[in-house]
Amino acid sequence: MGDKFCVSLTCAKNDADKATVAFVVANAAVASDKETMVFLSTEGVHLATKGYATGIHEEGFSPLQELMDSFVKAGGKIFVCSPCYKKRGYTEEQVISGGTIVGGAKLVEFLTSDGGSPCITY
Amino acid sequence: MESSALSGGDSPDIDDEWDAGQMGCGELVMLLAGRMKALKAGQVLKLVALDTGALEDIPAWCRMTGHTLVSSGHPHYFIQRRQDKNGR
Repeated sequence: MGDKFCVSLTCAKNDADKATVAFVVANAAVASDKETMVFLSTEGVHLATKGYATGIHEEGFSPLQELMDSFVKAGGKIFVCSPCYKKRGYTEEQVISGGTIVGGAKLVEFLTSDGGSPCITY
Repeated sequence: MESSALSGGDSPDIDDEWDAGQMGCGELVMLLAGRMKALKAGQVLKLVALDTGALEDIPAWCRMTGHTLVSSGHPHYFIQRRQDKNGR
C-alpha cells in the first residue's frame, strides 16, 4: 500500500459541502499515517487565504477552519495552484500557514514519485 | 526566499539565459523544457522566473527530468542540461 495520498479540491464557499468533506477525508488520510497533500485549484484556492474559511460550517461536520487547522497541525500539506491564486487577485502574503504556492510540476512530482499517489477529487 | 549561491557573487558560467517574467505553472515548464532541449549536455541555462510557484516547481521539475539545479535564489535558477539517454 502506498504511503501518500492526495485530495484535489476545486471549490470553496460555492460548494461548502464538498470543501468540508474534502478536508474530512484529508484528515482521515493524515491520521492514517499517510503523507497527505490537499491540492487547491480553481475556486478552491480561496480557502488558502487567511480568514476565508472562518464561518464555513456544514451541518453534521466540524467547522471547516477547524478541519483545516487540525490537518496542518498533523503534518498535512496544502498546495495552492499559483495561476489560480493570482487570477483571483491574491498575493503570497495572504496564504495561510501550511499552504504553499506551487505550479503543475510540483503536483505531478507528488503524484508520480515514490511509487505514486492516489488522488480523490472534490 | 531560498539561500542563494549567487549572493556571494560566484554565479555559475552560463550558456543561455531566459527571462520568463511572470509566467508560471505548465506554461513555464513547457517552454523551459524547450529551452533545455536546445542546449548541449552539461551546458547551463540561467532562468529568471518571477512566479512564486517557481520556488517549488523548478526544483521539482529538475528532480523529475534529471536536469541539475546547480544553484538558485528566487527568482534566479541555474539549470544544467542532463545527458541524453543515448549518451549525447
